[in-house]
Amino acid sequence: MAAHLSYGRVNLNVLREAAIVWDEYLTGPFGLIAQYSLLKEHEVEKMFTLKGSRLPAADVKNIIFLVRPRLELMDIIAENVLSEDRRGPARDFHILFVPRRSLLCEQRLKDLGVLGSFIHREEYSLDLIPFDGDLLSMESEGAFKECYLESDQTSLYHAAKGLMTLQALYGTIPQIYGKGECARQVANMMIRMKREFTGSQNSIFPVFDNLLLLDRNVDLLTPLATQLTYEGLIDEIYGIQNSYVKLPPEKFAPKKQGDGGKDLPTEAKKLQLNSAEELYAEIRDKNFNAVGSVLSKKAKVISAAFEERHNAKTVGEIKQFVSQLPHMQAARGSLANHTSIAELIKDVTTSEDFFDKLTVEQEFMSGIDTDKVNSYIEDCIAQKHPLIKVLRLVCLQSVCNSGLKQKVLDYYKREILQTYGYEHILTLYNLEKAGLLKPQMGGRNNYPTIRKTLRLWMDDVNEQNPTDISYVYSGYAPLSVRLAQLLSRPGWRSIEEVLRILPGPHFEERQPLPTGLQKKRQPGENRVTLIFFLGGVTFAEIAALRFLSQLEDGGTEYVIATTKLMNGASWIESLMEKPF
Amino acid sequence: GPEELVYKVCFTWGGPTELGQKVSSQTAALLRNPWRKEKTGSVRPVLEIYSASGVPLASLLWKSGPVVSLGWSAEEELLCVQEDGVVLVYGLHGDFRRHFSMGNEVLQNRVLDARIFHTEFGSGVAILTGAHRFTLSANVGDLKLRRMPEVPGLQSAPSCWTALCQDRVAHILLAVGPDLYLLDHAACSAVTPPGLAPGVSSFLQMAVSFTYRHLALFTDTGYIWMGTASLKEKLCEFNCNVRVPPKQMVWCSRPRSKEKAVVVAWERRLMVLKFVLDEDSYLVPELDGVRIFSRSTHEFLHEVPVASEEIFKIASMAPGALLLEAQKEYEKESQKADEYLREIQELGQLTQAVQQCIEAAGHEHRPDMQKSLLRAASFGKCFLDKFPPDSFVRMCQDLRVLNAVRDYHIGIPLTYSQYPQACWKGLFPSWILNRVKCRYKQLTIPVLLDRLVLRRLYPLAIQICEYLRLPEVQGVSRILAHWACYKVQQKDVSDEDVARAINQKLGDTPGVSYSDIAARAYGCGRTELAIKLLEYEPRSGEQVPLLLKMKRSKLALSKAIESGDTDLVFTVLLHLKNELNRGDFFMTLRNQPMALSLYRQFCKHQELETLKDLYNQDDNHQELGSFHIRASYAAEERIEGRVAALQTAADAFYKAKNEFAAKATEDQMRLLRLQRRLEDELGGQFLDLSLHDTVTSLILSGHNKRAEQLARDFRIPDKRLWWLKLTALADLEDWEELEKFSKSKKSPIGYLREDRRALPYLLPQPPSSPKPFVEICMKQHNKYEAKKYTSRVGPEQKVKALLLVGDVAQAADVAIEHRNEAELSLVLSHCTGATDGATADKIQRARAQAQKK
Repeated sequence: MAAHLSYGRVNLNVLREAAIVWDEYLTGPFGLIAQYSLLKEHEVEKMFTLKGSRLPAADVKNIIFLVRPRLELMDIIAENVLSEDRRGPARDFHILFVPRRSLLCEQRLKDLGVLGSFIHREEYSLDLIPFDGDLLSMESEGAFKECYLESDQTSLYHAAKGLMTLQALYGTIPQIYGKGECARQVANMMIRMKREFTGSQNSIFPVFDNLLLLDRNVDLLTPLATQLTYEGLIDEIYGIQNSYVKLPPEKFAPKKQGDGGKDLPTEAKKLQLNSAEELYAEIRDKNFNAVGSVLSKKAKVISAAFEERHNAKTVGEIKQFVSQLPHMQAARGSLANHTSIAELIKDVTTSEDFFDKLTVEQEFMSGIDTDKVNSYIEDCIAQKHPLIKVLRLVCLQSVCNSGLKQKVLDYYKREILQTYGYEHILTLYNLEKAGLLKPQMGGRNNYPTIRKTLRLWMDDVNEQNPTDISYVYSGYAPLSVRLAQLLSRPGWRSIEEVLRILPGPHFEERQPLPTGLQKKRQPGENRVTLIFFLGGVTFAEIAALRFLSQLEDGGTEYVIATTKLMNGASWIESLMEKPF
Repeated sequence: GPEELVYKVCFTWGGPTELGQKVSSQTAALLRNPWRKEKTGSVRPVLEIYSASGVPLASLLWKSGPVVSLGWSAEEELLCVQEDGVVLVYGLHGDFRRHFSMGNEVLQNRVLDARIFHTEFGSGVAILTGAHRFTLSANVGDLKLRRMPEVPGLQSAPSCWTALCQDRVAHILLAVGPDLYLLDHAACSAVTPPGLAPGVSSFLQMAVSFTYRHLALFTDTGYIWMGTASLKEKLCEFNCNVRVPPKQMVWCSRPRSKEKAVVVAWERRLMVLKFVLDEDSYLVPELDGVRIFSRSTHEFLHEVPVASEEIFKIASMAPGALLLEAQKEYEKESQKADEYLREIQELGQLTQAVQQCIEAAGHEHRPDMQKSLLRAASFGKCFLDKFPPDSFVRMCQDLRVLNAVRDYHIGIPLTYSQYPQACWKGLFPSWILNRVKCRYKQLTIPVLLDRLVLRRLYPLAIQICEYLRLPEVQGVSRILAHWACYKVQQKDVSDEDVARAINQKLGDTPGVSYSDIAARAYGCGRTELAIKLLEYEPRSGEQVPLLLKMKRSKLALSKAIESGDTDLVFTVLLHLKNELNRGDFFMTLRNQPMALSLYRQFCKHQELETLKDLYNQDDNHQELGSFHIRASYAAEERIEGRVAALQTAADAFYKAKNEFAAKATEDQMRLLRLQRRLEDELGGQFLDLSLHDTVTSLILSGHNKRAEQLARDFRIPDKRLWWLKLTALADLEDWEELEKFSKSKKSPIGYLREDRRALPYLLPQPPSSPKPFVEICMKQHNKYEAKKYTSRVGPEQKVKALLLVGDVAQAADVAIEHRNEAELSLVLSHCTGATDGATADKIQRARAQAQKK
């Protein structure tokens, strides 16, 4: 999917003898497609972060601003340009919008009197960034908030554009399914854009059989629960940013005798996590309880492999052993890293508080006592646990009860306002608007119906050798993934009733293919479904989908796309409003 | 009346011809003698345009000023250079397009002479003014005037001059008496052709070749010098012994021998081959030869291609010639056919023979000759195993297209060499090639189609597209779009009919830009038609800007919204905002919820006051409340201001029937005032602390009474207050007070937080357990204090509490006593190192015992 990159229209020649001024938010995603070294090769001299006042001195001819099309950023850029030292040598300014040029921003630059200073104004249409072989993300942080709180469809428009690009590269997707208001809008935009592009008939044999568009607000529950896969837990505890994680360094200190524990590294350990690492690919999607046994098995295999050297007698054998050494050493390093990470995680998951929290979550999800004030949540508030944790639990309870009784809701809200500060009334209102926290309407709790029909709670979970997607939350099967699973077999017709309860319309659209491109399926050949989560997706959901792809009789493989890789905490945070 | 040829302008590859004043190879324009004696008072000249086959295309009365020079541009537009330096541009059908001026200097000194020339950028105009200065523009499409430097001592017009294009820069080469000067935009330099014969006292003619690579000079001695245009090398010289100045001298390109020849024309004589011409003629250099125009004929002079020569040479024994014979005999059912074939086969030249026939067919202009050559090729192919068919097939296709455009109704007599075979394979993105109207590199199929479109030969163009199976976007749709653009100019047809006719023919044909057609309609002043056409445009990005230009902003808004492109919506919104008064603008927004929410977002960041007005207009009290809350934090510094903002917010919440928010806001106002008072009375920082934190800091600063009072006033639940106190006292490390507190009354939260499962909700309060006390002490690393509370922990919490304070041994004892397997393994998991070895053994023994039972 890296071919994606070639679709941009960046003329790398402009980069010559240039300094790039980065919108800080973009550096992460860009790191995934163009490493610093590549830019260096193109004679990029300096990199700065976009901030107010004068640009740092740099002996370059070209200054390139790489920014998202946002008005506030335009103001900063204008400030930079206007405070340029007139006595120094004149420098050329260029601006590259990611992912799209914006008339609005250009108007703003014009109003600020600097538009004419830019020699090039281009766009780099980076809609979907490849994160892994089966994973694309727009990394648009505010997508959920914009769609559901502010009725701003910008990110949906970009999603539709991204899907058009994807279709241009991988063929028209013949079948589109969707659930939710935003899904409907994206599908409409795609159909419209297809009409706009009618000229260029796509003659690429389609890679994807289906597209499933899912609104995040169809399944508000899943992200609120604590993910229990290995990758999910790393994200929950340390936060994975653009496939990198920063970890406390102590466990990674090289073990040397006589070191006496001094000289411990103080800088966080930064690791890249993706499927290119063999071991990580194997364990990332496993339930954390199944990770330990894999690690110890791996440890045995590796030490056995190193022992082989004693058996290597002939020159040929030694040579062969040596040739395998780099791979073995890499494997050993990877094992050491993941053993350390697993230890770090284990410290958290064995703590009493983690256990208590998980118990409460699981009770809610299995429908126990969702209609009363929960004493654990009360205790958390009383002890001023992080507000995000509290909000996550309260929202989870609300979602699992189709809204809280007014009295219970008001009690929680009052407790939160008194403890954390009154200004959070704005955050609470946002959560209500997004439907995460709400009073129960009509006194009916629909959740049990949904839970039973979609089999969201599974009592017999096998964490080691899972047979169902519910292993990713040790009992709870993510609703979103269940919808995908049921769509592929036996079809949504079987769950019409539940689909009507869930918010937004569900629909199906066909994009007819010319006869030459229609697939003749071999028996046993899997379908490929592209599933697009509008408003974000969690690692646990991704793990569940990968699990479904790997099932031998599953019949469907999934490629996942999303507006943002997220977890409950980052999600709630994106909805919080801090007025000061 | 008699017509006089004044100038002729020709355009290569079959552009229009113009005589009288100008000619082009495929089309001619002609400004008929202005001084023709007619009975009426009409003294005005007539501009006539003909196709290459002499079909009249246009005729119009010339109403502008005297014309010095005519010429065809690369886009087949007729450029008419007037005496005053104004250049009028006409289309093929005599339709006026535009005009431009060659500058003030030219206007003042008048045009003495002008040349239209072609460069890789487009078509240029060079002017010699009455002041004997040169002004030129290398591309009239992107007009940049360049005044050339003065030629020192030039008092009269040069005897001859020409525009040259070298290294992408246009120069002027001129002759004054025996001297030659080269002008570029910076300097004037005298130049001398190498090896020029002596005795020359003036140059009468000069000619540059089609590619600007070669130069020929005709001197007053009848001597012709030929060499490179760079004047670095002489190629040859020739003395023709004619001293009369030739009317014209042009280069004749010879693609086969790669050599050049110069064709010189006098009144009735053509040199090089010593042709005798019937009429006064005009020469046009071409890629592969020279066109010779006269009033009644149009001929093409070129070198005979090898293949044709080989086949048609008298008594030729070339394989192609034999094959042609063989085929003829075969048709006569004569056995000689076999003899000829054998002869070719014996020499192993059959492949070559077929190739020769195919190639020769290409160079034939008469279809019957083409056919017999192709038939011969086809016949020969039958006897070959592996002759690749494409060259034959392609030639058949090429010839069909060529014959179609050569038809005298169409009048584009292209030769095979000029025909764009080169562009065959890739099927080119036409818009790119279209722009690069490369003069030297063959015209392309799209350019050929353009030529047809310019002549309004839409059906033929479409037939060619379909025949060549061009992708619709590059072929049929493009032509239909041109047709539609022509159609909207027919003013006698009603808007409805035009729109319907266009849509009927174009439908959803891929690649048709309705907005381009609409723009054309708008350009003709037909706004209503443009709007109707825009309805068919699927691309909002094209639709919306044009609607804005036509001042249909509201329609533009709804189209932008339909597209989902928020940037487009914003653009229209800002446009509307400037165009409408505020009230109308708000009303428009009101009817467009999506636009309204986008505009709100915009205001949130840019125009807060407007945001408030928007909420007010919609009676959105909930949002107004939130708005004032934000204001109380962000905009207000003074406490009074903040409270006032909160009051406004509370009022709004009441109006929104959000009692909870209203009450909470009032609480906050109360708290703010109180915090202010606390700061005044006690000092310290209280403002902006939460209620919880305010109480905590009161306890921390020893004002327990006040804390109690505050908790009561704001009705903090007991349970939270206990936690609060507990945490605060531990933070103070006031162990004594903590102990007192633990005994003061039964803890509503227990002493060690019990498993939550056992806890019913809110009331009644849970059974006592001092675990929270244990936890809180351990948090402050006070094991001693923590131990005090372990004894008071309920039995089901005991093991955990003991483990918490690190008393593994006692925890083991309790677990063994409880005979609880879960507790045993919990303790075991806490046994680390040698110190706990004994304890671990103890547990294992207890387990073994339990199992025996």
